[in-house]
Amino acid sequence: MIERWALVSGLKGDLETYELIQRDLRKIPGDKTLFVLGDMIGPDRNCNRLLNRLINPISSDLKPQCIYGWWEEQLLAESGYRGNQKAEALRINGGEQVVNSLLSAVDKAYLSWLASLEFGFVELDCGLIHGSSRDVGDELSMTTPPLTFLDRLTRLNVNRLFTARSTHQFYWELTEAIVESDVMDLSGNRKQQQKIPKKIVIGIGAGKNYTLYDVGSDNTQFLQAGYQSKKGVKGFA
Amino acid sequence: MGQAWLISGSPGCGKTHWILNTFKNHKGSCAYIRLNGHSDIDLEQVKFSKIDSAFLKDHLPHLIDVSNSNKSSISIRENTLLLIELPQFKLPSQNGVSGIDPRVLHELEILKLQPNRYLHFGRDIELPTKDTLDFKKIESSNLNLQGCVWDPPSLNTFWFELVNGAYGDVYRAKALMNLPDGRCMFFNWIVSQQGSQYLPLNGVAPLTGRPERHSEIVIQGKNLDFALIQSTINHCLLDDSVLAYHQASLKSSELQPIG
Amino acid sequence: MNQAVISCLHANLPALEAVLNDIEYLGIQNITCLGDLVGYGPQPNEVVELIREKGIQTCQGCWDEDIIDGLDACDCSYPSQLAEKRGHFAHQWTTDKLTNENKEFLASLPTSIRKDKCLFVHGSPNSQHEYLLPDMDAFAALERVEMSGAETLFCGHTHQPYIRELTNGSISFRIQNASSKGIQEQQGMDLPMRRIVNAGSVGEPRHGGIKATYVVYNDNTCEVEIREVSYDIERTCKSIIESGLPPIFAWRLINGFEFAEQAEDASHVCER
Repeated sequence: MIERWALVSGLKGDLETYELIQRDLRKIPGDKTLFVLGDMIGPDRNCNRLLNRLINPISSDLKPQCIYGWWEEQLLAESGYRGNQKAEALRINGGEQVVNSLLSAVDKAYLSWLASLEFGFVELDCGLIHGSSRDVGDELSMTTPPLTFLDRLTRLNVNRLFTARSTHQFYWELTEAIVESDVMDLSGNRKQQQKIPKKIVIGIGAGKNYTLYDVGSDNTQFLQAGYQSKKGVKGFA
Repeated sequence: MGQAWLISGSPGCGKTHWILNTFKNHKGSCAYIRLNGHSDIDLEQVKFSKIDSAFLKDHLPHLIDVSNSNKSSISIRENTLLLIELPQFKLPSQNGVSGIDPRVLHELEILKLQPNRYLHFGRDIELPTKDTLDFKKIESSNLNLQGCVWDPPSLNTFWFELVNGAYGDVYRAKALMNLPDGRCMFFNWIVSQQGSQYLPLNGVAPLTGRPERHSEIVIQGKNLDFALIQSTINHCLLDDSVLAYHQASLKSSELQPIG
Repeated sequence: MNQAVISCLHANLPALEAVLNDIEYLGIQNITCLGDLVGYGPQPNEVVELIREKGIQTCQGCWDEDIIDGLDACDCSYPSQLAEKRGHFAHQWTTDKLTNENKEFLASLPTSIRKDKCLFVHGSPNSQHEYLLPDMDAFAALERVEMSGAETLFCGHTHQPYIRELTNGSISFRIQNASSKGIQEQQGMDLPMRRIVNAGSVGEPRHGGIKATYVVYNDNTCEVEIREVSYDIERTCKSIIESGLPPIFAWRLINGFEFAEQAEDASHVCER
């Protein structure tokens, strides 16, 4: 049986896009799991309808598995769910006005649900996360140094890392890495050569841009909501 | 009429393990009772420990625990092997059943038990002597830990400190301790051995609330700071909310959340 | 020229005095300290004051940070509940003992010190709480040095002194974005040689023995020597017991263990 994961992020309250994606997914045969990797909310529109739909899917919806993203982190911090921390990162980037817009975009009734969400998932040998295991705001993109990719994969102890924070769709594949390590301590010297075989980091995109991952064939497809049936898909073997 | 043997020896000599192996090799039914033993000058016995019977019962689910029987109705059927475990420091004065301590004989009479064989570790050559030590002075204490669940890394640290002398000179320590994943671990240590023995019991508790089975620690040694041991143990035990958190995360299956 | 790097003093005055005597004996004047002046040990004020008096350049350790920030810096780094309870007790004890002036000094410390191509930190360039253990993933270790822009990274925090060289590294990869229509660009790069030097611990060693450790670095030859120094450990243990700290700290120290257990997770980073 074919199993596919649909990976979505950065909806920021956009229920129409979410419905388009759900419609796309209905047309795809086989077993499917929908992961929403954070940023369900944002400051630019009222997010309550989307949140309600994520929590209470309609019968034809593929039930979403959600984690929190950078915008949820800001809202939760500002609302007192992160100890003494406040939404400082947002305040520095967007100012007080954006903080207030975010607060008014989400009804307080949804806060406890948002606070219950996980930081990420590990499925098989894949890590699914908003930014990276280092930080929810960690922006991994095409220009990220390879050593940083390796570090983020190592921290989660996975071979594939699906990330969303940068909003970009990209596919980075390590074909081989090698390094020699020589440690000297009070018990003597030890030399080792460390090799890493294939590992992959996938940027899943945001909003209308989402990603389909075929678990069996390890095939990744970058899609755009609503275009799937018309234009075919862009994909990598 | 079956066989009734009295098995005695000093702490850590291997009575319970010898009994377990003997039962495993016995073709008929098996029955067990543990007597408390008697303290002598400078040699203190552990009072009312149930670790050994809980350990044996876990390995031998059909074991007849005679301590739970109505005392007036203890009768040993044919093909039944009854082993009576007795902690005892001193060598019996005479060979065979005539060497049984009169205080023990009195207890056995009350229980209407009459051993037809008596073996003591360090006296009878068919018993192993590797861990049979001659104690001159020993303090003993046991703590009931029923319902208590340990933080596993804290348990590792506590046990390491305990058997390495942080709370006094420990000669012997054994315990049945609950872990948050429902397992119960048997920890066993004797000063004559290099490391501890760690055995998970077969029975696993459900992941709801506190386990009801027997849990206890027995510590024997010299210059032991029991108050410090107790306060350290208190720091290692999970409170209700932390236990509930562990149990909830163990129950959630399919997805493994990070952090 | 030789310079000395010391770390993790943990309020152990006899150990610090012995190490400073050894440094003086070697004729070294340039000393850098990688933090954790206080915590667990019995003489926090005396240790801070000696560092201040000698004018030793110091970066802030996780204990120094926690004393200032009120323990919310990183509870999750404790390896066990027992270690956490003991750590909290030691934290409260230290907070009560430290003078305001010494607290202000700890608060003023930088999280890193850069000297030419060397970077000095307590844990890692990412965090005072991150452990760079000697056998952690070599690429992750290389990433810590390379991303900090240094050639040699000096750290402490693990209490295990070591020198690790990472050489002859290379990475091959291919990369593609959504618009590149199936064309995958193959790339390769050689990785630079980088080095991590862990200074061990003056006040709370964890190398199997009980001697204080630190390192001597020659900035001309780039040679590093791990120094072991004996000190009056019984004086420290007596002081622990007399000061009302848990006697288990003295037992662990004199037996060559740390005051409390240490987390083994090399990749642990506090997410709070």
